[in-house]
Amino acid sequence: MLRKNSRPIGKILMVLMLIFFYLPILYMIVFSFNDSKSLTGFTGFSLRWYQHMLESRDMMEALYTTFGVALAATLISTVVGTISAIGLSRSKKIVRDLLTQVNNLPLMNPEIVTAIGFMLLFITFRVEKGYATMLLAHIAFCIPYVMLSVMPKIRSLDPNLADAAMDLGATPWQALTKVIIPQITPGIISGALIAFTMSVDDFIISYFVTGSGVKNLSIMVYTMSKRVNPSINAVSTLMVVIITIVLLIINLAPGFIAKRQRAAEITKRKMVLPATLTLAVVVVGAITVSGLGARPSALPYAGQTLYLYNWGEYTGENILQDFEAATGATVVMENFDSNEQMYIKVANGEAYDILVPSDYMIQRLISEGLLQELDHSKLNCMDDLTEAVIGLPYDVNNDYSVPYFWGSVGIVYDKTKVSLEDLEAEGYNIFLDEKYRGDIYLYDSERDSFMMALKALGYSMNTEDPDELQAAYDWLVQCVETMKPEIVTDEIIDNMAQGRKAMGLIYSGDAAYVMSENENMGFYMPEGGTNLWSDAMVIPANAKNPDLAHEFINFASDYDGAYDNSSYVGYTSPNQQVMADLSGEGGDFEGINAYLPRTDNPNDEVFVFNDATRKIISNLWSKVKIAASNAN
Amino acid sequence: MKRFSQLAIPYIIWAALMLILPMLLIALYSITEHGNSIISFSITPEHYIKFFTDPDFLIILWRSIWIAIKTTVICLLLGYPIAYFIARSREKLQNLLVLAITIPMWINMLVRTYAWIGLLSEGGPIQQILAFFGLGEVELLYTEAAVLLGMVYNFLPFMILQINTSLCKMDNSLLEASADLGADPLHTFMRVTLPLSLPGVINGITLVFLPAVSSFFIPKLLGGGQYFLIGNLIENQFITAGEWNFGSAISMIMAIIMMLLMMTMRKVEIRNQGGKED
Repeated sequence: MLRKNSRPIGKILMVLMLIFFYLPILYMIVFSFNDSKSLTGFTGFSLRWYQHMLESRDMMEALYTTFGVALAATLISTVVGTISAIGLSRSKKIVRDLLTQVNNLPLMNPEIVTAIGFMLLFITFRVEKGYATMLLAHIAFCIPYVMLSVMPKIRSLDPNLADAAMDLGATPWQALTKVIIPQITPGIISGALIAFTMSVDDFIISYFVTGSGVKNLSIMVYTMSKRVNPSINAVSTLMVVIITIVLLIINLAPGFIAKRQRAAEITKRKMVLPATLTLAVVVVGAITVSGLGARPSALPYAGQTLYLYNWGEYTGENILQDFEAATGATVVMENFDSNEQMYIKVANGEAYDILVPSDYMIQRLISEGLLQELDHSKLNCMDDLTEAVIGLPYDVNNDYSVPYFWGSVGIVYDKTKVSLEDLEAEGYNIFLDEKYRGDIYLYDSERDSFMMALKALGYSMNTEDPDELQAAYDWLVQCVETMKPEIVTDEIIDNMAQGRKAMGLIYSGDAAYVMSENENMGFYMPEGGTNLWSDAMVIPANAKNPDLAHEFINFASDYDGAYDNSSYVGYTSPNQQVMADLSGEGGDFEGINAYLPRTDNPNDEVFVFNDATRKIISNLWSKVKIAASNAN
Repeated sequence: MKRFSQLAIPYIIWAALMLILPMLLIALYSITEHGNSIISFSITPEHYIKFFTDPDFLIILWRSIWIAIKTTVICLLLGYPIAYFIARSREKLQNLLVLAITIPMWINMLVRTYAWIGLLSEGGPIQQILAFFGLGEVELLYTEAAVLLGMVYNFLPFMILQINTSLCKMDNSLLEASADLGADPLHTFMRVTLPLSLPGVINGITLVFLPAVSSFFIPKLLGGGQYFLIGNLIENQFITAGEWNFGSAISMIMAIIMMLLMMTMRKVEIRNQGGKED
């Protein structure tokens, strides 16, 4: 222990440090009470995100998974780690040294390498990814931390201590629990704390080893790509409150007890009460969360589960609950943030009942035999859908797919900064117009970026010609090198709603949301053509519950379900009536051109899948991003 | 006494399965051809050749290591004085400060990083403060500085806690002895405190450098898509491109470089401790 020091410089440093650490947390707490959906502009006080959080089963489950996994992993790794460390300290030196090296693997490796190792392990041995794999991985990376903090304590023990105890008549078990363990308790506790901290905050490893819709908070936030929901701030604020209460109790309790030892009986009871209450709250909370799965059994699909694999933030506020109430089934939803990510999971045999991929990806899934044909006798929704989304080239007879959302890609622009004449004159080439240097967003999607470049050059976006692809690549490199664009994904939504840049490439549904938030914003589709996309519901070949999946397709295409989806997410509904009502008089998107995709431009195209081109584009896009990094 | 050694046997089996086998699998994937079947594989060095013959990949690798080095140095420069002052404060305050550093880590890392997006965004609070001092036009978000800030923010606690632990373990009488023998405070710090806290420094460096070098969501969120690091490249290979073999090869390269770096550092530590005993 060092000497006490009261120089002011230390105090200033401490205060600055605390400000640095707590500033984002404070910001997060403030924004959990924000009335608007924006994460950056505060518009007024509201508790709506807390309400949303309590209603969102997804979020409560993520909270439950995070803490469930962390507590279980801490408990198991502490016990196993301590016992193994004791055992190891008595092993031969060579075994000890070797195992220390092995234990260093997760500590000395970049986290992503460890994560990939676990993922390959589970996939190679066909372990179904989910809660169990996440827990196993967490235990595996926690144990080394526990051992690391227990080992020095054991080394500092007198090696004869246990022998002495046993000579005096103790059994080995007693020697262990009554002599050795109490001596090394501080090491065990700090090991457990490190394990808990690592587990609760883990993202990378969990992200690679999870499956079947199991997600912790980190994964939920990361895949909430479509629009980060401020409820996440509410969840975190709740966590801050719980952690503070628990810590206060843990820290103040011993102090109080020591101070008032004479009045021990009464005081202790006082301290026990809040502790018990906290515990009770946690237990009741856990039961409530786990109890949400229980459903009345009279309904047709009671006790069954629908595994839905969808884009993040791509369902209405109530549709899943309503579907559960109507069928008695439980919906487990997992989110992806790109078609490719979804494809890899499905191609690796993970079973879902419904997927919502985009056009070209549906074509790929069909060609690889990964989808099953829909049973049209079970579908009653086809007549409600608008003609523009039926019979598209990726699935000409809709044998496999029923549209979920559709739209186009275009340019969202600030009418006060960009003139419509410029847009009309230049089309996508406005992204090379140095007048707007440093004032544009590109969208981090290889397909849509290449679509933009190819269309700007007057080519088809489905070209297979290497020269045209090379020209598009050069166009994009010129853009990132001369225009200083920011390459973003869904941050563009909030940023444009706040009017931060002049323009950006955007999906029409996101533009509709931006325009409903900020009246200065406009949406323009270049005459040279654009990507007319649709995301549709399909049933994988290995789905476990196709009947229920058909039910869901009907439910989501039906007026109420489609209305809920479209009004909440802002993407265009394929349901004709919903589309008319939402864009018509008094509708949420009245007067917003981005909500109604263009259907009369012959230059517009639908993506066609071609594996060779996909690889070329994927490689070239990485290179465009590298060029962008170099330009900065 | 030896009988306790049996307690380690289950863990030896576990470690072989959960720690060694995954690394072997990455190594296997990295030298096999495209296709993920382990039954019919053929060995090829093509993934390594692809990586080392493309200057773009090497630039990314170097940039990732460079930003991790910068993060580590900043964390060390900030973390050491903080840890030092914590260790010198009263015990109660000390516990409180350690707790205050640990709590943010229990609140989700991604959520905290999202909060930084808001803080740094155009027209956000930090820019407004800067504008007040006449620095309004400074772009904060989606810059390398933002990535660096995010990394320092997320990993600094590890550095502080590690150094603090080793400072607290130090025997106070050593400092008194040094003073009694006529050393001034600076001398005492350089010759006694610093060498004794070195194990903590080294642990801290490890705990900061490793996550910093492979992080992919901090650059993605705070640097924007135009800030592309090796972690992003690996994530891409596995999550979107589906090139697992190439991704495994990059992972192996990362793992080997890190092992070499860490081994060098441990050697420094051991030499230092050896020198002390003389």
